[in-house]
Amino acid sequence: MALCSVDGTTEHLVRAALDGDREAFGSLVEAYWGRLVRLARSVVGDADAEDLVQEGLVVAWTRLAGLSDPLRFGPWVSRIVFRRCLRVSRRQRGRLSLEAVPEPSTASDPVVSLSAWQVLSRLAPRQRAVLHLTAIEEMTDTEIASVLGITPGSVRAHRRRARASVARVLGGGRS
Amino acid sequence: MTPLNDDELVRSFEDQLRRWSRRPPTIPGAVARVRILARLPRASRGVSWLRLAAAAALLFVLVVAAWRGAPRWAGETKAGLEVALAPSTGPDVVVWVLDNRTTVYFAMSRDGSARGGLS
Repeated sequence: MALCSVDGTTEHLVRAALDGDREAFGSLVEAYWGRLVRLARSVVGDADAEDLVQEGLVVAWTRLAGLSDPLRFGPWVSRIVFRRCLRVSRRQRGRLSLEAVPEPSTASDPVVSLSAWQVLSRLAPRQRAVLHLTAIEEMTDTEIASVLGITPGSVRAHRRRARASVARVLGGGRS
Repeated sequence: MTPLNDDELVRSFEDQLRRWSRRPPTIPGAVARVRILARLPRASRGVSWLRLAAAAALLFVLVVAAWRGAPRWAGETKAGLEVALAPSTGPDVVVWVLDNRTTVYFAMSRDGSARGGLS
């Protein structure tokens, strides 16, 4: 289930959930669970991701009446989860700075020597989300903007800065 | 070995990110579904039946308290009723029953004079 595309079944499930059908909402949870967890992992890391997605989905149920267009369920629920991740990642900021920060690599392939999370953790949370939604979900800038609640121009700026930071981390600060 | 340039580093990292992200969640979707459904509050939208029931119960308690707590004097209502009915009044007479001992009545006439009294 892509975050931004909705088929007929999903639309039907969203409409049933809007009428208070808990099982229909359960089917939506199952359909979106994997992608939401992956997004959360890219923003806050493995440790908190699944708890945050569970919390986000419970919140989504209570706010379902605010979903005006059932076709927008994917971006809408992703935004709820992302906002929770953003809040937690701000609290993590101090913690992360005390954790082992990758040393500039001397290995022949720096990308192999550092884990994806070690690199992501050096970026701002929005930059992590933009990279994730670009590289993993292959969303357009407009779709990413609707998930993150920013403009497409900001999406491009975040991506540019994120890629520059990635190159700096992996290049050992040479750029 | 020639060091990778920035674009190659980024491209290589994004490949690594895809592989890292492909790992399945530790909690399967079916299990997450059960856990999340167990945490959902009863009503998803509109009227909260719990709140409505609480408001109805509160209203009931207030009505009962007001009814039971209102000051009463023995025979007041009955006496007042008797007094109110006691004076024989015509169509031009207005009677005010102030309490069970005091009745004020006004009699109006067409020429402007008025008779009245206190009983």
